[in-house]
Amino acid sequence: MARKIDFDPDDVEFFGDLGSIGSPKLDKMMNGGIPRGFTILCIGEPGAGMDLFMKQFASVAEDPENTILLSTAESENEILQVYRRYKWPLDLMVRTLGEEFNEAVLEKELEASRFRLEGFSMEDIQRLAQTRFVEENTTDYLIEMANQVTQLGPFFRCAIDNLDFFFQRNEAARVISMLRVMQAHTQLNRGLLVLSVSSGTVAHSIEREISLISDIVFEFEVKQLGNSFETRMVIRKFRNSPENLRVYTYRVTPEEGITPETVDRVI
Amino acid sequence: MFGTPQYTRDRCVTGIHGLDEILRGGVPYGSTVLIGGTCGSGKTTMCIEFLVHGAQMGEACAYFAATEPSVKLLENVRQYSFFDMEMVDKGLINVFDMDVLYSWLGLTKATFDRDDIDALVKAITDIVNTIGVTRLVIDSVTTLCYKVPNDQLIRDFLFTLGKTLATQGCTSFLVAEITSAGAKAHWSSFGVEEAILDGIMVLGDIDRMGHLLRYIQVIKMRGTDHSRAKYAVELTPMGVMLTPMLKWGVGSR
Repeated sequence: MARKIDFDPDDVEFFGDLGSIGSPKLDKMMNGGIPRGFTILCIGEPGAGMDLFMKQFASVAEDPENTILLSTAESENEILQVYRRYKWPLDLMVRTLGEEFNEAVLEKELEASRFRLEGFSMEDIQRLAQTRFVEENTTDYLIEMANQVTQLGPFFRCAIDNLDFFFQRNEAARVISMLRVMQAHTQLNRGLLVLSVSSGTVAHSIEREISLISDIVFEFEVKQLGNSFETRMVIRKFRNSPENLRVYTYRVTPEEGITPETVDRVI
Repeated sequence: MFGTPQYTRDRCVTGIHGLDEILRGGVPYGSTVLIGGTCGSGKTTMCIEFLVHGAQMGEACAYFAATEPSVKLLENVRQYSFFDMEMVDKGLINVFDMDVLYSWLGLTKATFDRDDIDALVKAITDIVNTIGVTRLVIDSVTTLCYKVPNDQLIRDFLFTLGKTLATQGCTSFLVAEITSAGAKAHWSSFGVEEAILDGIMVLGDIDRMGHLLRYIQVIKMRGTDHSRAKYAVELTPMGVMLTPMLKWGVGSR
């Protein structure tokens, strides 16, 4: 039996059954938005605007203290610059796991390269002679991500941009196991969890498995048409609402960010 | 014809009671000596005493701890009256943890390749050069060699290290762990260390009427005449003491 969550009636009324995807036009096209408790998977090609979509989704932040953007590729400063550009609220939580990893691991690797190339200075040697234990970086970033998500309360909103970082550093089965935990937490707490993964990062079978865990699957594509590009969002899966399966052509506007243009065709 | 040699190499006085007499004044300066021995035979104590004597003479010394954490080592050697923690605090005896050095150099793999070995030799040489180390101990070189995948690389590593340290005028003791001194044809763990180093001293145990007596034997020492007899080793609070081993009839070996 799943743990029962006692939802505050005021919250139930405030948040409702559906949450915004981040674009009012898209919400309208999807009959009001995304059902609370859903996990959404975004698969995309570089340059298709998936990163922006993730930020836009988090920017809704109905409850900023219960909204988090977990980024593995960008710095906090880069993320905030985008939020400022689109005049999105800045009061949500942002955690940059990629930056944390760089500080902990890559800087150490860089220092090791420096020692190997340039040697030790007197100051380095004195520090080495006084260092008695190896400072192990034992941080498990996959666990960190799962912990961060499972600490969020009812009606949370979370965007994880993106999963490539975890698949590149962990066994796929382990990542999937954590995704199941997060999906269960999302369902139980009527949260909204959006995950992104780059096309081709994981094997087809793994991509299929994450798609099965997810309630909605968006695919972001970019096509060259003559001298211009066309960006498209394909809704490949929408649990219990197959009528929402569509291909949207979208553009990026300075006012609204990602916004659908026209409905191309029904799958 | 066989009179006193006209030229004798300068000696690094070990300060170990009895050892300098065996070596006719000490280890020739710049030698790289293998200290092979079974567990508990007194290798570490002897090496620490060698460094302490250097520190007392104002020399800069370095100890690379590879088999036990330096914290534990320093706690253990504090019981000896010859050891003074101030020597460490003042930087006369510089104690380095090998796993910290590995980590700083990014040597986190289970086995080392040639680049890793070059980086390690360079790092040790840097330390010797920068702080002017004249006495160095690696305890033990065996644990380090376990990370080196083949005999040729071990040979190259020890040869390069020995040559570099000798160029810097640094007398080095490389500790080697062996399972049973004297029972094998060689005195080191891998069998390749002994041929390329300048000296070999072996510590072990002899069963004397049910008692294990520690002994030391200088097998080889380039650049000096020396005794090749076995000497009894006594580990006292004042340090290591060597005394000639009495021949106690049959079964003494």
